[in-house]
Amino acid sequence: MRPLRIALTKGRLEKDTVTLLEQIGCDCSAVRDKGRRLILPVDGGKYEVVLAKAADVITYVEHGVCDLGVVGKDTIMEYGGSFYEVLDLGFGKCRFALAGPKNSSFFEGYSSRTVASKYPNVAANYFGGKAMDVRIIKIEGSVELAPLLGLADAIVDIVETGSTLRENGLEVIDTVCEISARLIVNAASMKLRRGEIEELVGRMEKAVRQSD
Amino acid sequence: MRKNSRITPEGTKDYLFEECMLRRQIERKLSGVFEEHCFREVMTPGFEFYDVYDPDFSGIPQEIMYKTTDRLGRLLVMRPDNTLSIARLTATRLQNLPKPVRLYYTQPVYRNNPGLSGRNNENLQMGIELLGAGGLRPDVEAVAMAVEALSRCVPGFRLELGHAGFFRSLSASLPVSEETREDIRCAIESKNYAALGALLDPLGDGEEVQALRALPRLFGGEEVFEKASRFCSGERKETLSYLHGIYRSLAEYGLGDRLIVDLGLVQRNDYYTGIVFSAYVEEYGDAVLLGGRYDNLLEHFGQPMPAVGFGVNVDAIAHALSQRNREVLLPHAEVLIHGEPGYEMKAIRYAAGLLEQGKRCESSVFQTEEEAKAYALESGIARVDVVGETVRTVISDGRKL
Repeated sequence: MRPLRIALTKGRLEKDTVTLLEQIGCDCSAVRDKGRRLILPVDGGKYEVVLAKAADVITYVEHGVCDLGVVGKDTIMEYGGSFYEVLDLGFGKCRFALAGPKNSSFFEGYSSRTVASKYPNVAANYFGGKAMDVRIIKIEGSVELAPLLGLADAIVDIVETGSTLRENGLEVIDTVCEISARLIVNAASMKLRRGEIEELVGRMEKAVRQSD
Repeated sequence: MRKNSRITPEGTKDYLFEECMLRRQIERKLSGVFEEHCFREVMTPGFEFYDVYDPDFSGIPQEIMYKTTDRLGRLLVMRPDNTLSIARLTATRLQNLPKPVRLYYTQPVYRNNPGLSGRNNENLQMGIELLGAGGLRPDVEAVAMAVEALSRCVPGFRLELGHAGFFRSLSASLPVSEETREDIRCAIESKNYAALGALLDPLGDGEEVQALRALPRLFGGEEVFEKASRFCSGERKETLSYLHGIYRSLAEYGLGDRLIVDLGLVQRNDYYTGIVFSAYVEEYGDAVLLGGRYDNLLEHFGQPMPAVGFGVNVDAIAHALSQRNREVLLPHAEVLIHGEPGYEMKAIRYAAGLLEQGKRCESSVFQTEEEAKAYALESGIARVDVVGETVRTVISDGRKL
């Protein structure tokens, strides 16, 4: 049987996950010194780490070609999918927020609103939950531009420190939800390789609790 | 040429040669098992009224149904699920049959999955429904048949057992809205411990809340029954020992460690009321078989009766088998028969004669013997017989004579 395969979101989540894996005693030297390789052995080949873009982590895990994955809650909320979301890893913390020009009255009155976002599904679910009909425009790059240029009344975006918002004269109107990195597991893998997966998840959970 | 005239829609494909052979083999094995157990085949329409699959009781989200309208403007749906169609059929045309009714089907379901996810939107399903009987015997019969059916097609599968009654009885007593109840169900289904904790924290620490918190972790081998027993009093205690009984009888069947219990198996198809079971194989990232008891479903069609059944995803099994054995190739014809001008009918009768001896023959459509020989050599047919006044073998063992 092939080693358990873990898909990691490239970038910061990857670094945090490698640190966590090292905390539980896995040798990650191959990942630290990866060159251009995308599939890397961990702990002497006991596990394999696959590096992918956030949304692809979900795709690989959903199809079962990777057994586990580390991905932000933001990506899970935007792309959905069916898998087990077994552990809040506690790192990669930030939040989804609704933000607009300072002192704007977004929720007042009855004129219809336009919102720009890189996360149209998250925005649609948020306003759906408030029973508000809002026009949503998908923006790929710096979403803060949309209200500045007059395209949108507000934005739904990831906020960490809020300094980008402040520098552009915007402020948080409402927090949509908190975000952090999650460990996800393919449903069939969970059934077929329960022992190995529970053991690994258990060790990671313990390490996460300790660092809290 | 139109833009889409040379492609098939997303989520569909053409099945060729070996793929067809594999699917037919699986179909024969499964229908063999079903018929041995006296289940009779039915076919339902490929599209039906939307009302048959109403999301309120089917649990099928409306956005994944392919819809159209009939000439009166009524909403039609391409069959997204077999059990609902069969429930409708049983409650109507079959209502006067003595119970139980044992039915099986082989028909595709159509689901408009989210785009570019790589899933099939057309899936061939085979399954059984045992209608008009409740309790242990039909449950055991259905699960045992699922095991037998899969054993004949994909040895090495794992079977998972659960019971919809746990979640139903636990959540019924919670003072929460329907939406929160659904959120709790989703958190258990996706084993999302963090979200489940957040939903349950405001609800105190009673037996029900403790049990719901533990539900996604009540997953594993026979030890699960022991672990679960401290959360189970009254009705749930009976449910637990009922499930344990089925587990034991299946363990005797020789499934051993390939049997898993998951009390957190709370599927979105919320027509299930009793035992639920599913099967997994290593080569496929999702369940290849899903089944369970649905005692309240027939009520929606005006004929309340208990029922149990399961469906097998034939495409998933064919995929798994092709992964296991990639070298399966359809055999060529053994003999190419070429009739000389004026002897075409004689050639066909000659082919029929060879066929009786068990030789697979293909008839030549070519004008000349030379073209027939070239075709045989190119397509790997080892022997060519030319039928004229006499019969001559002009190619044997792939070599010209």
